[in-house]
Amino acid sequence: MDAGKIKSALTDVTAEQDPTIKSLKMASLCSALWAERGVELVVVGGSAIEILTEGAYASGDLDMCHATNASLPMRERQEIMGLLGAKGGPRNWQVAGMFVDVLGPVESFARTPFRRVRAPYGDVLLMKPEDLLVERVLVSVYPGENPTARGCAKKLAAMILDGSIPVDWTEVRRVANLPEYRNIAECVKLVEEVADELKIKSPLHSD
Amino acid sequence: MNSKSKVPCIPIEGSISYEDWLKGRRHRRELGNRVAPEILRRQSSSSDRRLKKLFHGQRGLPFTPTKKLL
Repeated sequence: MDAGKIKSALTDVTAEQDPTIKSLKMASLCSALWAERGVELVVVGGSAIEILTEGAYASGDLDMCHATNASLPMRERQEIMGLLGAKGGPRNWQVAGMFVDVLGPVESFARTPFRRVRAPYGDVLLMKPEDLLVERVLVSVYPGENPTARGCAKKLAAMILDGSIPVDWTEVRRVANLPEYRNIAECVKLVEEVADELKIKSPLHSD
Repeated sequence: MNSKSKVPCIPIEGSISYEDWLKGRRHRRELGNRVAPEILRRQSSSSDRRLKKLFHGQRGLPFTPTKKLL
């Protein structure tokens, strides 16, 4: 991406006042610049859930991880983010009126692909909703009741049940049964609750 | 395309265009509002200091109202 394109993209992201679009555009810009150097970034956690669900959940920071095994050397990260006029580093930066965190290697258990949006400056990879659902259900219960995480999990479940975000339910069940989570019962309960509220049948069973 | 509505889905394989993602925003917001409170943004986190400094006491930009989404 040449300097002119970067400047134009940066002007666009800086002016953007919708927080979800701003995050998506920033993820697109960062992903494009990192991809030119061989590293694929993926939007994770609440930032990914926001782009997937419009859940009015995320705050003014964008969390990303690298999907490829290696990240970039610290010097190169600073140089890339310097192209965007970023302040700070080497893992979080203030840039274009928001914060960007690049946290390390992505932690994913589902065997499905990362979801992909063809965003204005390049493709944006999003964490797999199979992982996100199981993770958010876990956080809603452990270490204690967390109503925000529960609301987030319910919105994500609603999108999935409605078909707005198709998932592989076999993978949801498998991931929830992994030793890392062991929360299939809680997942089944939450998905059934949302299915009841939407008056549709839940496809998730514990067997 | 979502089988139950005219809204484009975010597919497992392949990708969704930016325009289609924009088109689905209102549907996704309204659907989520049926099962949980409209605004879920946390009141606090470990990033509060930097967020509130940048966003004038808030934790991020205000969300676009549902009726203004496509």
